[in-house]
Amino acid sequence: MRWLAGGVTLSLVGLLLFASLSLPPGSEAPDLEAIAGRYGVRNAVAAVVLGARLWDTLLEVLVFAMAMVGVRIALRPLSKAQEPPPVPESHLLSQAADLLIGPIAVFALYLAASGHLGPGGGFPAGAILGSGLLLLALAQGTERLARNIHERGLERLEYGVVALLISGGMGAALVGSPGSPWLITANLLIGLEVGIGAWVVLHRFVAHRGEL
Amino acid sequence: MDGQIAMVLSVLLAGLGLFTLIVRKELIFKLLGLNVASGGASLFLVAVARRAGPGVPIIGLGPAPAADPLPQALVLTAIVIHFATLALALVYVIFLTEHRHTQDVRHLERLEEE
Repeated sequence: MRWLAGGVTLSLVGLLLFASLSLPPGSEAPDLEAIAGRYGVRNAVAAVVLGARLWDTLLEVLVFAMAMVGVRIALRPLSKAQEPPPVPESHLLSQAADLLIGPIAVFALYLAASGHLGPGGGFPAGAILGSGLLLLALAQGTERLARNIHERGLERLEYGVVALLISGGMGAALVGSPGSPWLITANLLIGLEVGIGAWVVLHRFVAHRGEL
Repeated sequence: MDGQIAMVLSVLLAGLGLFTLIVRKELIFKLLGLNVASGGASLFLVAVARRAGPGVPIIGLGPAPAADPLPQALVLTAIVIHFATLALALVYVIFLTEHRHTQDVRHLERLEEE
């Protein structure tokens, strides 16, 4: 079985290598001015994500939110971890977390707000925000942090953000080619949504499985 | 040439992930293999997006010619979707482990037959 799987995988890898190495060389470098200029931004990837392929991105945010709802609902019937995970008594960690959470949040905000001009955007900003929350959770303990940041309110905010994004996207599609204000707003909202979603996943997993 | 190296690496990565997906019997390792294979697919798209020249697809950053922005946008969405589906899949693995007390596929199939 193992040998058969290895043979099949190797032949598939060989086929893929043969195919990918005989790909024709890429066409001319794309005209960035035409792509990015149409939406009044400088980052062509942001123009594609939130302009030309707007629906793909918005429905992807919807898929992300649905997966988070799925995590929440599917974990509910399972038993909670026996005792609440202990808060590690590390002075260094708690001090560093208090010190670092500010810069992390500001950096996430910066990435989201400047995603139309340079490298960045809503998704990495959300991931960074989620990592900052993970750091805080390690320092303070997840349950305490969940109380402190009002998790129920945050979850409602997440649904609101998704609804706002989809309706805003419809408005932007009706207007035609939306300019940079729409891109900034959408990046900020996506950052918020992804950050909250990452926190929800983290908290559910910790609550049901305990900390490793 | 760098683009081709990245392409070869991405195909090898996808093959490695696929091999793990087939051979390992524990669900959690199958998910890990799927994760690696998905990383290979993302890397492949980024390698395809590359154009000769040092440019990045941002106006005013570095000289042209730049990479193609479309596959990069695809990768951006693919990564996030992959995170979401992986989280959901892990939840069901937890579910199976709690209810059947095993992650072994052969074991689970035998339990299903009884």
